[in-house]
Amino acid sequence: MVNVWRFMNIVFLIALWMYQDPPLVSFLFVISLAIIVCLRWRFRLPSWMIIIDLLLCFLFIPFWSSSAYGLALPVYEMMSRQKYRFLIIVILLLTLFELYSIVLLWLLFQAGVFGVWDASSSKQRERYITEADRERHARHALENVKEELLQSSRKAAQLAEVSERNRIARDLHDHVGHDLTGANLALEAYEQLEGKEAEVMLNEVKLRVARSTAMLRDTVHDMTPVARIGVDVLEHIAKEFIHTPVSFQCSGDMQLVPAHYWGLLEPCLKEALTNVARHSDATEVNVNLDVTMYLVRLSIQDNGTGSKHLGEGSGIRNLKVRARANGGSVTVNAVNGYQVVCVLPLEEDGR
Amino acid sequence: MTIFIFALKRILRDKTNVLFLTLFPIAAIFLPLAQEGWPLLPLGYQYFGVLLLFVSIRLTGIMIEDRQKGVVKRLAAAPISHFNYLWQNLLAFSVIMVIQTVIVIIGGHVYGHELYGPWNLAILYIVFTFTSISISLAWNSLYRSKESSFLIFMAVIVLMALLGGILFPMEMMPEAFQRIAVIFPTYWLSEGIEWIVLGEDRGDFLFINGVLLLYALFFLIIGSIRRIS
Repeated sequence: MVNVWRFMNIVFLIALWMYQDPPLVSFLFVISLAIIVCLRWRFRLPSWMIIIDLLLCFLFIPFWSSSAYGLALPVYEMMSRQKYRFLIIVILLLTLFELYSIVLLWLLFQAGVFGVWDASSSKQRERYITEADRERHARHALENVKEELLQSSRKAAQLAEVSERNRIARDLHDHVGHDLTGANLALEAYEQLEGKEAEVMLNEVKLRVARSTAMLRDTVHDMTPVARIGVDVLEHIAKEFIHTPVSFQCSGDMQLVPAHYWGLLEPCLKEALTNVARHSDATEVNVNLDVTMYLVRLSIQDNGTGSKHLGEGSGIRNLKVRARANGGSVTVNAVNGYQVVCVLPLEEDGR
Repeated sequence: MTIFIFALKRILRDKTNVLFLTLFPIAAIFLPLAQEGWPLLPLGYQYFGVLLLFVSIRLTGIMIEDRQKGVVKRLAAAPISHFNYLWQNLLAFSVIMVIQTVIVIIGGHVYGHELYGPWNLAILYIVFTFTSISISLAWNSLYRSKESSFLIFMAVIVLMALLGGILFPMEMMPEAFQRIAVIFPTYWLSEGIEWIVLGEDRGDFLFINGVLLLYALFFLIIGSIRRIS
């Protein structure tokens, strides 16, 4: 844009030159200015090059007074680079050659304003660019961190699995394995022995087998997780509910249900049972959990009669919102007893 | 200097270039002096500037060819600067055209033409050689294909020659056209020729050559822009 303005100035000077028909020498001025404009277009020239523009104007104004219009270029340059001290030279030139044409002064003023505007806008643009760069950089770093975290969690899971397997293998080898081998040897010896010695040997075998059985049980107990997960949680909740007897049935492959669904199904069951305890006169509650290829359905049905009004507490409302966030739904139905149904979709790949 | 030597080889390998560089200049030597009193020099020398423009656009065409074939792209990846590529090519063009100019001037002198100042004429034409090379360089930087650049530049050459006062005298043209003519380098060439025949003040000749050199610099700056595709 700036270069268009600069070249337009040159075109203006050429047109002026043709129109006024000054001495031929002043054509040198136009070409020299054009060369400087070209240089400014191609390269970023140092600020002192403004002196050359001013010098050209100084040399050629005596030959052709309209050369003063060429001052617009250096004025623009000095204002956009904030080298205000060159303005003194311009003012000196204007007074020296007594150039007080109002059009000329107005043109120079415009050039200066344009220079200031260009400097400020380019500064702003630079700031935006650096800011955008910084943001891009931050986002990139964040993505890297995320990737690293995912990798390390995968690695940690793998490591845990391997160390657990090592523990089991070590336990089986160190305790159970040794005792069983010892028992085997003792049994073979027992076949060769008779009388009191045989009885002692048999006792030893018994002791070893009993000890290894206990060891095996311990090892297995160490392996089973203490915290309940998945369907066990629901079953536990149903079993622990003392207000009314609860029957719990489930069908389908529980492995298909993703882990975060349990976090929704569990409060759903709790909420429904709490409602039974607080509001219902029911004597029996049926809980059904069905898992098919495409969805999970949890239904809690009681045989209460009192609650014909379907007032929804904040608990149910909250569950509805959470179910919707997962693409499912929670519905309440009071036609035949009181029923809460939670349906959640399953992904195609069974995640 | 590999690029320089390669550029020379490429130029001389092309049959049409060789024709331009030998047949036309030799023909120019043998063209007679016009009868009507204008042009002042023998026809071959008056029109030699036009020939120079033609030759320079043909020679600088190899740089467009480089762009078309992706040579410039490969050079950008090679350990050689664009500046190096540019000046070695330009040097090759200049050397060929300066030799051609010198041969034509010497040929004319030997043949017995009245050339007024053969040294001055040689200087003028050598300076104009540089101008025409940089004009065609700048012109080529606007185009993607060698053919369109060449064809349109032919029209431009004719226009410049007409308006610049090479093909017929400036005085025949309307006043406004005479003023516009000043912006064409060919105007300064014809001014120079006129000075060689009629001029006296040495300063005028220097001024004319100075303007031509400034034009060369101007177009060189425009033409040296690096275009990859």
